[in-house]
Amino acid sequence: MHHLILITWKGLLRDRILQGILVATGIFLFIPSVSVLSMRQVGELAITLSLSLTSFILLLIAIFCGGTALWKDIDRHSIYSVLGLPISRTNYLLGKFFGIAGFLLLISLVLGLLASATIWYVSLTDPPARPILWTNILMALTFDCLKYIMVVAVSFLFSTVSTSFFLPIFGTITLFLGGNVTQEVYDYLQTPAGAALPALTKQIALFLYYLLPNFAVFDLKANAVYSIPLPANGILLPLAYSLAYCGLLLSAAAMLFTRRELH
Amino acid sequence: MDAITIEALSKTFKGKRGRSVEALQGLQLSIPPGEVFGFLGPNGAGKSTTIKILMGLIRATGGQASIMGIPVSSHTARRNVGYLPENPSFYDYLTAEEYLNFTGKMFGMTGPMLHERSQAMLHRLDLWEARQRPIRTYSKGMTQRLGLAQALLHDPQVYILDEPMSGLDPIGRALVKEIILELKAAGKCVFFSTHITSDAEAICDRVGIILQGRLQCVERVETIMTPDAELSPGDSAQQSLEKFFLEIVRKGSH
Ligand SMILES: Nc1ncnc2c1ncn2[C@@H]1O[C@H](COP(=O)(O)OP(=O)(O)OP(=O)(O)O)[C@@H](O)[C@H]1O
Ligand SMILES: [Mg+2]
Repeated sequence: MHHLILITWKGLLRDRILQGILVATGIFLFIPSVSVLSMRQVGELAITLSLSLTSFILLLIAIFCGGTALWKDIDRHSIYSVLGLPISRTNYLLGKFFGIAGFLLLISLVLGLLASATIWYVSLTDPPARPILWTNILMALTFDCLKYIMVVAVSFLFSTVSTSFFLPIFGTITLFLGGNVTQEVYDYLQTPAGAALPALTKQIALFLYYLLPNFAVFDLKANAVYSIPLPANGILLPLAYSLAYCGLLLSAAAMLFTRRELH
Repeated sequence: MDAITIEALSKTFKGKRGRSVEALQGLQLSIPPGEVFGFLGPNGAGKSTTIKILMGLIRATGGQASIMGIPVSSHTARRNVGYLPENPSFYDYLTAEEYLNFTGKMFGMTGPMLHERSQAMLHRLDLWEARQRPIRTYSKGMTQRLGLAQALLHDPQVYILDEPMSGLDPIGRALVKEIILELKAAGKCVFFSTHITSDAEAICDRVGIILQGRLQCVERVETIMTPDAELSPGDSAQQSLEKFFLEIVRKGSH
């Protein structure tokens, strides 16, 4: 399987569109350092901007790579030659997945370093009110990366039942948006106003809360920006959660893909 | 043990609005090691369907198939197989050298052995000059050659080739015939589909003719080529596989 991972990596690194996105991001990441000249409170702003930009790029890459990986192989018929090799469908799927997940990690690392350099540079000229907690920034980046690896797993599940890239891409975007608000909806249900809703609505909301991925738990941006100490169980829990959720998604994807006919 | 065993294999494609295509019906066939078998049939007869089932890409509706005794539903059956898909396509961002390196490793080949073998195949299929260019830049025939190089790379016992001559120039076709005869001499089993009867005539031990999903006949090429044989229809002056094939197709279609 690791041979397939390496091949997937090569493909991603040689992809023109991705190269373009990455170069553009590198340039954009320097905008916060320019903003020093014109604004106040730039320390916090620099962190917010850098982390948001990094996060957004990772999201783009996760959806773009995850949603098109299988479709490309099927559409270009290269899947016949690969599955003609003695590799099970499950291993093929996992190889592709870990290839993309590893790629996301690598990009997080590179962008994280660039973002840190920017933050550090800005903090020299304009020290923020609270000292920057680098561990928080590191954790925020790591969790972002975990979140987008889950997004890739979601897009893989969609890809195994779809013949185009339409469902994987737009399905994943929908689920991503949904997964970001379920926590808020859940919290709202706990308020008196929420409790007054019809029972069926509450049931559906609860069902979705448990079914959809809960991406809110991966958001440590506030901790990073305002140097708020990290919650102790706020680290292990999301980690375990993302592993379990990815495991479930990938098992389902592998089951569906193994039964799929590749005409 | 037979190299390829196919028992009562059938495949029905479910179409939209209940319309379905019976692409394969009760196919029964076994091919021993050391035999070159030509699978002949007009367009849409079911040749590629059979091959895709053998390679585990689609599932049979009924019956079973195995390669070197291993059911085709297991990916381990493919360890013994060199497979060339119909109109092959590969990860086109890789070079031929990288691609062969990758597939070799998937078959468990390593180090200098893999390197040597892959270089030999690149030379053999005349891809040496182009070996460091991305596959994206290859012509149709070059891609076909690369597919053959990949099928040969790990020196398997069984070869399943879907129209191996397609897209090749006369030199390439002569080369493929030569390679297949070498494989036969080495005791390998080669199963290939084609609709070019002269190619099959030149290299096959046996041919099977399939028509609308049904195997019409399986016959030794020698027998077909012998004048006056009971099987050979019509006049006896000049027998050819082409005549025989056309006769079978004509008989079969009503
Ligand atoms: N995915 C599919 N859905 C519906 N019908 C299909 C599908 N794939 C193949 N068929 C049908 O099955 C039959 C056999 O097709 P197959 O590709 O095996 O033919 P073939 O013998 O390889 O032909 P050719 O010489 O043109 O390559 C055809 O009638 C074809 O239309
Ligand atoms: Mg065909």
